[in-house]
Amino acid sequence: MADETNNSQTPKRRSGLTAMDGALALVVLLVIVQVWLLSAAVEAFLAGHRETALPAAVVSGLLFLGCFALYVFVVHIDRESRKP
Amino acid sequence: MFGYEFYVDPSRCIGCQSCVNACEECETHRGHSMINFDFIDRPESTATAAYVCWHCEEPTCAMVCPADAIKKGEDGIVQSSLKPRCVGCSNCVLACPFGIPKIFPELEQMLKCDMCYDRTSAGKRPMCATVCPSQALAYVRPEEVARRREKPNNVFHFGKQRVVTKVQMMVPESTPVISIDVIDYIWEEAHAVLPQPQ
Amino acid sequence: MPFFRSPSNEPLWHEEFSIFTADERYVSRRQFTKFLTLASLGMFAGNLWLLVRSWFAKTPVYPEAVVGRLGEIPLGGVKLFTYPTPKEHCILIRTGEEEYAAFSQKCTHLSCAVYYSAEKTRLECPCHEGFFSVKDGSVLQGPPPRALPRVTLERRGESLVAVNLVTSQEGRGTLES
Repeated sequence: MADETNNSQTPKRRSGLTAMDGALALVVLLVIVQVWLLSAAVEAFLAGHRETALPAAVVSGLLFLGCFALYVFVVHIDRESRKP
Repeated sequence: MFGYEFYVDPSRCIGCQSCVNACEECETHRGHSMINFDFIDRPESTATAAYVCWHCEEPTCAMVCPADAIKKGEDGIVQSSLKPRCVGCSNCVLACPFGIPKIFPELEQMLKCDMCYDRTSAGKRPMCATVCPSQALAYVRPEEVARRREKPNNVFHFGKQRVVTKVQMMVPESTPVISIDVIDYIWEEAHAVLPQPQ
Repeated sequence: MPFFRSPSNEPLWHEEFSIFTADERYVSRRQFTKFLTLASLGMFAGNLWLLVRSWFAKTPVYPEAVVGRLGEIPLGGVKLFTYPTPKEHCILIRTGEEEYAAFSQKCTHLSCAVYYSAEKTRLECPCHEGFFSVKDGSVLQGPPPRALPRVTLERRGESLVAVNLVTSQEGRGTLES
C-alpha cells in the first residue's frame, strides 16, 4: 500500500545523468580537437605539404571512433536507466 | 524534503480552515487558496475534509496538457503550470480524478498546489501542514505516522484507471484501495454501476 | 542497427516532450551526443577528402601568359594582372632596375588583396596587418600562415612572361626582407 512510491526510480536516473555528463564532456573535447586537426590539415595541404594528409586522416578517424564509442556508451546508460 | 511524506487524514479535520487561509497568504497566488476544502455532507453533518494535490506518479493532468505546461520533477512533485506555456484550456481541470487544478480565467492559467515547493525545497514544511492544528494535513517522517491507528494508502481506483500518488491518505487498516469513482458513491452498493475493485 | 532504435516502446514525441523533467534532460543530452558524433563524422570525412585529393593531385602545369613589357612600370611601381585564370588576381612589382617579382594578390590569411609598400619594400595586407617579403613571399609578420604563392617570371625579349605559379613551401621568413 504505502510502499508504492516512485522514489526508487530517481537514484538510478541521477547516477546515469552524471555518467552521461562525463561522456558528453569527453565528446565535446574530442570534437574540438578534431576541428583543430582539420583546420591544420587544410592549412598544410594548401601550403603544398601533401604528406600530412594521411596521418591527419588516420588520427581524425581514431578521434571519430572515440566519439562513436562514447555515444554507444551514452545510449547504453540510457537503456539501463529505463529498465523497470 | 527528503525522508518526509505528506499525509492527509480527513477524519482529523475540524474545519477550522487554517490551511485555506495559510495557503492564501503565499505571494505567488495571494488571495487564492490551493487547498480543496470540502463540506462532506453539509445538510447532515459538520464533517469536513481538506485536500492538497496528490502528486500522482503518472499525473493525469500532465498527460492531458496540450501545451506541455505541467511537469513532474525528479523528487516526485508535480509542479503548477508553467506560466509561458499554459493557455487556460482547463483540460487538466477536467482530467484530474481528484479535482485539484483550479483555472483562473482572468489570468488564463491553471494554478494548483505544488507542495509549497519554495518551502519544501529549502527544508521547511508546506504552509498547510505547518498550521493544521489537528494534523489532518501532516508533513512528517513515516515513523511518526506508523504510530497512528490508521494506515497510509496511496493507491486509488478511478474507474478503470489505477492511480498511485505521492501524498498518502490515512485509511482504516482493512481498506485495500480507495475507489474515487464518482458514480460509485452516487449509488448505494446494490445499485453500483461498476463493481468495486477488490 | 541497435544504436538507432528507440530504447523504449513509447513514441518518440512522448520522450521528447516528456512530462517528467528528468526524462526531458535525458533525451536532449542523448540527442546532443548524437549530433556531436555526427559532427565528428563530418570532420573525419573532411580529412578523408583531403587525403583523396592529395593522392590524386598532380603538379599542375600552368599556361604561359604575357604579363607586361620591360620598363612599363617605374621602379617601385606595381601592375595588377590575372594569372592563370581571370579570377586569380596577381601583383607585379618592379623591385629593382632589372628586377621584377610577381605574387598572387590573395592574402593567405583571409584572402584580402595585398598591396606593395615601396617605403617598407614589402607586401602588406591591410585587413589584419600581415606583411610578406617581396623577395620570396614569406610571411614577415601577422596572422597569415603560409607564404604568398609566387608567379615565376621569364624575360623573353622585351616581355615578361608568367610561366608557373608556385605555392611556396616556406612559411615564415626572417625579419630582413
